[in-house]
Amino acid sequence: MKHKAIKVGLTSLVLILSFGGLLYSTMSESTEYYKHVDEVMGEPAAWYGKNLQLHGYVVPNSIMRKRNSLEYRFKVQSQGHVVDASYTGIVPDTFKDEAEVVLKGVLSQDGFAVHPNGVMAKCPSKYEAQVGAKGGAPAAPAPSSGTE
Amino acid sequence: MATLGATLLVLAFVFSAYAAAASIVGARRRHAGLVDSGVGALYLVAAVMTVASGVIVHAFVVGDYSIKYVQRYSETAQPLGYKLASYWGGLDGSIMFWVFLLALFGAAAVWINRQRHRELIPYVVATLSVVQMFFLFLMIGHNNPFATYLTDTPGAGQGLNPLLQNFYMAIHPPTMYLGFVGLTVPFAFCIAALVTGHLDDSWLRAVRRWTMISWFFLSFGLTLGMIWAYEELGWGGFWGWDPVENAGLLPWFTATAFLHSVMVQERRGMLRVWNVTLVITTFLLTLFGTFMTRSGVVQSVHAFGEDRQLALMFSAFMSFTLMFSFGYVIYRLPLLKARNELDSWASKEAAFLANNWVLLFSALFVLFATMFPTITEAISGERLTVGPPFFNTWMTPVGLVLLLLTGIGPLLAWRSSTLSTMWHQFKWPIAAGLAAGAVTLGVGIRVWTSGVCFVISGFVLGTIVQEFWRGAAVRREATGTDLFTALVGLVSRNKRRYGGYIVHVGIVLMFMGFAGEGFGRDEQALLKPGQQVQVDRYVLRLDAIRATDDDQKQMVTAQVTVLDEAGASLGTMYPAKWFYRSRPNEPTTEVAIRRSLAEDLYIVMAAFELGEQSASVEVHVNELVNWIWIGFGLMALGTGVALLPETVFAFAGARAGAEVAATLLLIGVLLTPAPARAQDANASAAPAAKGTLVFRSPLERELANEIMCTCGCRLPAGTCGMMNCHGKEEQLTKIHTMVEKGMDKDAVLAAFVEEAGGQHILARPIDEGAHKLLWLAPYTLAALSALGLAWLARRWAAGRAEAAVAAPAAPADDALQQQLDDELRDLD
Repeated sequence: MKHKAIKVGLTSLVLILSFGGLLYSTMSESTEYYKHVDEVMGEPAAWYGKNLQLHGYVVPNSIMRKRNSLEYRFKVQSQGHVVDASYTGIVPDTFKDEAEVVLKGVLSQDGFAVHPNGVMAKCPSKYEAQVGAKGGAPAAPAPSSGTE
Repeated sequence: MATLGATLLVLAFVFSAYAAAASIVGARRRHAGLVDSGVGALYLVAAVMTVASGVIVHAFVVGDYSIKYVQRYSETAQPLGYKLASYWGGLDGSIMFWVFLLALFGAAAVWINRQRHRELIPYVVATLSVVQMFFLFLMIGHNNPFATYLTDTPGAGQGLNPLLQNFYMAIHPPTMYLGFVGLTVPFAFCIAALVTGHLDDSWLRAVRRWTMISWFFLSFGLTLGMIWAYEELGWGGFWGWDPVENAGLLPWFTATAFLHSVMVQERRGMLRVWNVTLVITTFLLTLFGTFMTRSGVVQSVHAFGEDRQLALMFSAFMSFTLMFSFGYVIYRLPLLKARNELDSWASKEAAFLANNWVLLFSALFVLFATMFPTITEAISGERLTVGPPFFNTWMTPVGLVLLLLTGIGPLLAWRSSTLSTMWHQFKWPIAAGLAAGAVTLGVGIRVWTSGVCFVISGFVLGTIVQEFWRGAAVRREATGTDLFTALVGLVSRNKRRYGGYIVHVGIVLMFMGFAGEGFGRDEQALLKPGQQVQVDRYVLRLDAIRATDDDQKQMVTAQVTVLDEAGASLGTMYPAKWFYRSRPNEPTTEVAIRRSLAEDLYIVMAAFELGEQSASVEVHVNELVNWIWIGFGLMALGTGVALLPETVFAFAGARAGAEVAATLLLIGVLLTPAPARAQDANASAAPAAKGTLVFRSPLERELANEIMCTCGCRLPAGTCGMMNCHGKEEQLTKIHTMVEKGMDKDAVLAAFVEEAGGQHILARPIDEGAHKLLWLAPYTLAALSALGLAWLARRWAAGRAEAAVAAPAAPADDALQQQLDDELRDLD
């Protein structure tokens, strides 16, 4: 009985340690901080270079797309703080003025650079009270490009 | 109306409370009358919820906008189908839909098992009632679908966003709910078994079919979600590891583990603690999934709003359920002791045990990663998220191990296998796997995860084919029939097993589809008219961009010609963006997909300049993606086979006549694709409206889709994609002339028929009179042959019974005889 308990205990310990180690190493590569724009822009320098998921609302009339390209520049705000964002790629159908967005990317002095497929505009949830015209088509969730 | 509905909900709550109380008291005091009244109350709740559903559906259909819920999700102009679908379109209604389904399922489950598992029924009723009470309480106290506007009643509804009005939105939630709610029934039986201490296999037998059906619907719902994401949302993939997606996947893992683990308990009396744990965990995960997506605890693209009170109520109920259930498990541990021990690691039991661990690990891992933001916020105050790369890094090897187990499990024997038997079992499948690997390398695939997946897929397919082959061979020797009849007989003797093998084939195909994603290609390009871009082995040339419109929307469609590397045309594709008049700032992306078994060519028009006729396109080549959907089809078939009642195929046990029946079956199976092909022409006849030409009126477009093009493409004139097609031009000009003359649709069609001398000029036969029968023909034929087969089956089975030795002296007691029959029938 005791022998068996030791075997089980030891195996579990090894498993937990190895999984924990693996988890830790893989996580540090791909974790992103989830912040709101006002939380970050209060002290931007502290967040330079970090992978962020930035939540905010698109400032009206700020979306600009370079002609004949997919380069976008727009502003995102929350609680009065604004950040300039730049992005090249496809935007989801729900991306427009005042849309609630989560942007995956990196903050730097020049603004917030959004990763490819990093624009997530919130879906017009069936389960949420829709006041006015917030959101539209089911949004495109942001996968890593191509590898699924 | 609203007060009626609200009252009904309160009544349902009261009746559920009574049902729970009466059942428990009746069980403890052995008062059959009380128990019966509890059961009756459960039935009554089902009736009440049906009426309540009727009330809300009526409100939707009629347009009673005094009810807030109706006003928010419906409007007069909304198509009827989507008005009905709005029942589950919002939070409040979705919970009521949940209770409705639970009440129905619960009533059905109790009614079916009322004699056979009499000792469990009171606690089953009690458990179901308590769960119902929770959801009803949520509605009554917090999110009442019947809440009304107190003062001003808006005259019109807001309506469901037209962009959400698509087929998948209507069907995906109900199938998911059928899965979730269905899994409550096994949980109820499990609790009943724990409380009464009847922890033998009877509760497993009662829930076997329920679990399979619920599991099937859950799989179906998940697959529909994937198809929806793939076809409608336009990002080229089908799974994003979004919290809402994961919420549906978590119970699927544990339910799959449970379905397999029960076999070990039935055969060897082992893994009993595992089984109760898996059932309880599955139920908790269904609750958790619902909770997670509605409470704002996790951020998701499917923004389900934040509701702290709801979060609190769910947490309270889940904690209570967790403590109660696992408390009882611990209390009953002595009764749950395994009857046997693991004899060897090279045994089926070990494989199932490994299967359990892998699936449980998957569930816990996905749960952990999904809840990671909440966990980190609680610990450190910072919300940290992990994305798809993290999930994929972990779940890919885990998935491969699972796939490997799918092949190994069936080949190992119970208790233990010797090395020589293992070699005898494994050698051909291993050869098949290596062959698959060779083919993969030969074809040029160098992504190692996909390659490993293909090798294992080959191995698993090898094991399944071998199982069928050897089983049929043994049976042929025993019964002296032909191979096909032997196969039918083999499957009929053990439908669960062989149905399960068919499901595994489906799983293998799905994994192959997943593996294809590893070596697909993506490209983005900005194209001017005439410009080309090469993606993989396709060359895409933008021909033009056209703007067309109909009453509802303006459509900007790009015409893209697809060429192969030699320059030969492979067809034309029409990615588009649609701008609905009611929502001009929110275009929908209409993806163009060119499907084949090997790969999908998937084009999205991201942006365009009408003035310059240029477009930015994103192109994906998705390898093997259609195997995912085909794989699910096989899963459905396999589940169907496994669920067939015992007496089906009894005739195949007989020797003579079995060939006849088997041949009939074969013919039936071969003919089934025929109606499907016939429908295909209609599917392409549907107004694709991809902007080939500018139609001058909706009538012309409609007609263009009803009149066949004469160029030999066998498509309607409106969708004929042939280059330089004179036939199409001619037909369309004729249509236009006739419409200008003022002819209506029927007149135009009749004129074409007269001119062509027959109905072949029409895309589909006129749907009236005798022609209506044409529509019915395939279905009638199928129904008649099914009935014919069933009649034949019964005759053979009856014939066999008579030929068999006369039954021994029957027990005098009819009820006992009935119970004996039931139990014998249940034995598998």
